[in-house]
Amino acid sequence: MNLIILRRRIANGVALCLSAMATLFGLFWLVWILWTTVSKGAAALKPRLFTQMTPPPGSDGGLLNAFYGSFVMIVMAVALATPVGVLAAIWLAEFARGNRIGAVIRFINDILLSAPSIVIGLFVYELVVRPQGHFSGYAGALALAIILLPVIVRTSDEALRLVPAPMREAGLALGLPHWRVTSKVLMRAASAGIITGLLLGIARISGETAPLLFTALNNQYWSADPKAPLANVPVVIFQYALSPYDRWQSLAWAGALVVTVFVLLLGIAARLLFKQRSTR
Amino acid sequence: MSTWGADDPSEETLLEEVRAAAPEPKIQIRNLNFHYGKLRALKDVTVNFDARVITAIIGPSGCGKSTLLRVMNRIYALYPGQSATGEVLLDGEDILDKSYPLGRLRARVGMVFQKATPFHMSIFENVAFPLRHYEKLSKAEQAARVERALRQAALWDEVKDKLKQSALALSGGQQQRLCIARTLAVSPEVLLLDEPTSSLDPISTAKIEELLSQLSVDYKVIIVTHNLQQAARVSNQVAFMFEGEMIECGSHEQIFLHPKEQKTSDYVTGRFG
Repeated sequence: MNLIILRRRIANGVALCLSAMATLFGLFWLVWILWTTVSKGAAALKPRLFTQMTPPPGSDGGLLNAFYGSFVMIVMAVALATPVGVLAAIWLAEFARGNRIGAVIRFINDILLSAPSIVIGLFVYELVVRPQGHFSGYAGALALAIILLPVIVRTSDEALRLVPAPMREAGLALGLPHWRVTSKVLMRAASAGIITGLLLGIARISGETAPLLFTALNNQYWSADPKAPLANVPVVIFQYALSPYDRWQSLAWAGALVVTVFVLLLGIAARLLFKQRSTR
Repeated sequence: MSTWGADDPSEETLLEEVRAAAPEPKIQIRNLNFHYGKLRALKDVTVNFDARVITAIIGPSGCGKSTLLRVMNRIYALYPGQSATGEVLLDGEDILDKSYPLGRLRARVGMVFQKATPFHMSIFENVAFPLRHYEKLSKAEQAARVERALRQAALWDEVKDKLKQSALALSGGQQQRLCIARTLAVSPEVLLLDEPTSSLDPISTAKIEELLSQLSVDYKVIIVTHNLQQAARVSNQVAFMFEGEMIECGSHEQIFLHPKEQKTSDYVTGRFG
């Protein structure tokens, strides 16, 4: 009897130890990455980071044009992908229930969700950049939108399908048409999930580098013209980090820190919003 | 153990009076069969529900009570694979007929569900938003109609100072009465209630039961319940179902005191269920 209990205690202790070690092992790298980013990035985190352009080698400067370019492309990508993605999710969740085409589209969307971003970059390069003959901010935004789209479809679809069935039935039982129940009742009930998904999608695309290398490329100068190559944070980080110049390298770290903090804030905002909205 | 109806001998006469005033039953169901995919949930159900009385549908879990209710406003049509055959006549018109418009049917036959389902909007909007779908009303008319519906559902005094607040902040019992108010606001003729008090505390339950007896003056009320005491307290007419069949339907004295069928007798005396 006591032997059995002892054996169970030992097994319990060993299992607990192993899982704690696995957790610590995972967290260790995360903390190391964060620490390196913060310690190296903080050195270059000066006001001019946000007020000056990317400098030529050997002089001081900031990342204003890169921040601006990234901002413009993310806004365009969100404006492109959100309406399409949310409407597609509404169709999938509400009007294609138990329907074969719906199931097939959901499956294809999941494939798109896990497609390597470099493939999407190459696709937009062939589709837009080569026929036009030059890189452009529009092409970059399109590539980001294609990456964002399946994230929005997936999260909005899930959020709508999580709305309890009696809610849908209660709306329909009042004699309201399905589209009205969807737009007034279900969308409100699912809004926390949909907005959370959008925020996480933005976090995902704000660090994408590969698709932008093929599409927006980069721009050393101030340019607000999305028809031309557009500076952006990920590609600047890529180029500056690989450069032999100290000042460029520390700018790259500062850029990495800003992107990391931005993504972290989006994640926190998504959590707070979800909590607040789903209990209200 | 049973005082059901014993001190209230007028039920039978009430049903007779109602039938004399309106010889046509409000709802006539004929040879109704219902399938969830291959599972046959209703078997040749034939029954009449009289106007202006409260009908309680009773029976053990899984006997088809809720299914029968869900046929009467065709809410099952939302799910592919569920199908009903037979006839369900509402004032003589077959509502199972594909040409019978769903919007019109559901405006005439309202439904309240087991779980309260307040919409994610203010208390006022919960009632006003469905109303606006049917009628173009001025702000003042709208407010008056919302107030009337909330009073009918015995909720007005509790919420009149917080109409702009979210309906999700209300208690469970208040949410359920809000759902009843929302349904009443569009003035249905028939009110279907699917175990409306099964997740509520006794005080909220009492409030809703009280409300039902007032409502039966203007509405045909059909309530599904597996609480026999509740059926005895609130209803005039009782229908007993078992394994998808309608065993017996009659005044509540008949069902509770002098049932014609052995199964009914076994069920109401607590031998199974």
